[in-house]
Amino acid sequence: MPGQKAILVDIKRCIGCLGCETACKQLHGFGTDPEPTLSDTAFTVVETRGDKFVRKICMHCQEPACASACPVGAISKSSLGPVLYNADKCIGCRYCMLACPYQVPRYQWTKLAPFVKKCDMCSTRIGKGGTPACVEACPAQASVFGNRDELIAEGWQRIRSDSSYVPRIYGVEELGGGCVLFVSDVPFEKLGFKPAPTGNQPMPTLTASALGDSPKVVIMGGTILSALYWVTQRRREVALAEAEEKAAINRVKGERSQS
Amino acid sequence: MIARIKSGITFWRVIIAIIFTTGLYATYVRFFMGFKASTNLSDQMPWGLWVGLGTLCGVGLSAAGFGISAAVYLLGMERYRPILRASILISFLGYLTVCAGYLYEIGLPWRFWHPIVMWNHESVLFDVCVCIMTYTTVLTFEFAPAVIEKLPWKVLRETVLYLHHKILIGVVLMGVLLSSMHQSYLGGLYLLVSGKMHPLWYSQYMHAMFYLSAIPAGLALTVMAIYLSMRSLHVRVDFSILSDCGRMIQLLLIVFAFFRFLDLLANQALHYAFQRTAEAGYFWLEMVLFLAVPIFLLSLEQVRSNPEKLYWACAVVVAGFMTNRLNVSINSLQAGLGAHYVPKWTELASSVLVIAAGVLAFRYAVIYLNILPKAKVQSFTRWMSNGGLPAQA
Repeated sequence: MPGQKAILVDIKRCIGCLGCETACKQLHGFGTDPEPTLSDTAFTVVETRGDKFVRKICMHCQEPACASACPVGAISKSSLGPVLYNADKCIGCRYCMLACPYQVPRYQWTKLAPFVKKCDMCSTRIGKGGTPACVEACPAQASVFGNRDELIAEGWQRIRSDSSYVPRIYGVEELGGGCVLFVSDVPFEKLGFKPAPTGNQPMPTLTASALGDSPKVVIMGGTILSALYWVTQRRREVALAEAEEKAAINRVKGERSQS
Repeated sequence: MIARIKSGITFWRVIIAIIFTTGLYATYVRFFMGFKASTNLSDQMPWGLWVGLGTLCGVGLSAAGFGISAAVYLLGMERYRPILRASILISFLGYLTVCAGYLYEIGLPWRFWHPIVMWNHESVLFDVCVCIMTYTTVLTFEFAPAVIEKLPWKVLRETVLYLHHKILIGVVLMGVLLSSMHQSYLGGLYLLVSGKMHPLWYSQYMHAMFYLSAIPAGLALTVMAIYLSMRSLHVRVDFSILSDCGRMIQLLLIVFAFFRFLDLLANQALHYAFQRTAEAGYFWLEMVLFLAVPIFLLSLEQVRSNPEKLYWACAVVVAGFMTNRLNVSINSLQAGLGAHYVPKWTELASSVLVIAAGVLAFRYAVIYLNILPKAKVQSFTRWMSNGGLPAQA
């Protein structure tokens, strides 16, 4: 989609300085202690895999499983790219957390009024033409921000100009693609990227077929049940009429035998 | 005085007292200290015992209401009319426990009404919410005559019952469709966890599996409840009806077993059952409790014709069903989610409190309302009415 923004993460260039992590925490006022995994106070973390550093962050899917899961529509995909969470609608069912194929959304377990927390790609900043805080903080051009189309071209440019890169941009097509893209010089499987459960099919297709069948099933089931009800009622009426007829005949017979 | 108090302390009263004290304390912890203090849920395991036991088992075990009401009202199987009200009551109370559990589960319980006005058609959970809300209303309607007929004002009572009777069939039909929908949608919830659920359970036909397994389990719970009412509340139901239910349960279990096996074959998941993993163990526990043992027991004439044996066979069905739902909601997901989850005692205590409240409500409804025919004659094991035909023995 034109006009969509995205983040490109270059695992080869990442030096593991945790600048992105710290900048994100500072922006949200979370203190600056690094955390090992995503949490309700860490929307992006840098994980160490062998001698490589892998950023973990919301993938901002094109067709997000979390948004299709949310019963009240609190999660939506914005036209600019980010997948946004509306805290005013959320009821706290946490189905989004279960549905997310990357296990990104986090919950404020310690609070009495808990909300879901995740990266929003600094949507207010980029809405004003700015850059996400994490990208701004990157000293090594390992995270870059821009138009999604241009970033895909930029990714392929980096892959072509350096034969050590794996010829694949993760996030363009996986599960229908997203607005966070990865290029790497180590195969993604070795960096903890799990194989996509539905290949390049977006996750919501998993439930769409089951939900799509339901009107048919309801109409068919309703018709069949009504028909069965009609049949049983009719049978009852017939049985009643027959019994009455029999009783009438018997009565006539009885009268005759008496006379 | 002391002797009177002492004689009032019975085993079950002590159990109920323990359940209510621990449960109320757990409720306090949940609502005043939050999830961290009251659960072992985590970012890796966002759904736990409340969903598995409270919602999945609660809704599934309440399936008899729509089954029996469809049989009696729509299919004209008058034979089951004596247990109709009891099954509707069980479903009604079951759904009330699910609604109560919903308030524990969601993080912002004061927003429980949001799904009514904020819609997301793509969401299976939205459909589940709407179906459960509507169906609870339908069950209230179906159960209402039992209360209305106790009203002291004759004209009001009869007008309401007359109007009720006029639209009953339509409502029953709607109820059957609604509950069929959300019984299966509860399974449909887990379609989205593709890649995280163990292949022994994950299937693209999760929803069908949930639907097929719920009906025998709901029937089994109804048989159990009626047996207990016969034993302790002077209820006298023709035992041959329950015996037939036993046969029906067995048939439904065989149907479910058939499709479950086909599904495993189609997903090429059968070999996982023979690996030395915890999941395989849970799988076999489920197979034995839910399918093998009940199908075998219910095929024996001496089990089906003996109330106590039938009761225990149904208890195995219910236990097996609960194993299945807990396997789907917890055991099959732990590895895929990278979680190690053991419920906290407060999670269990609050779930048990809600269930116990439902059981108590059932008891008092049977005592004070016309739910099941009552008679202070004969030992219940020998009681036979006229083929179950008279609704009020």
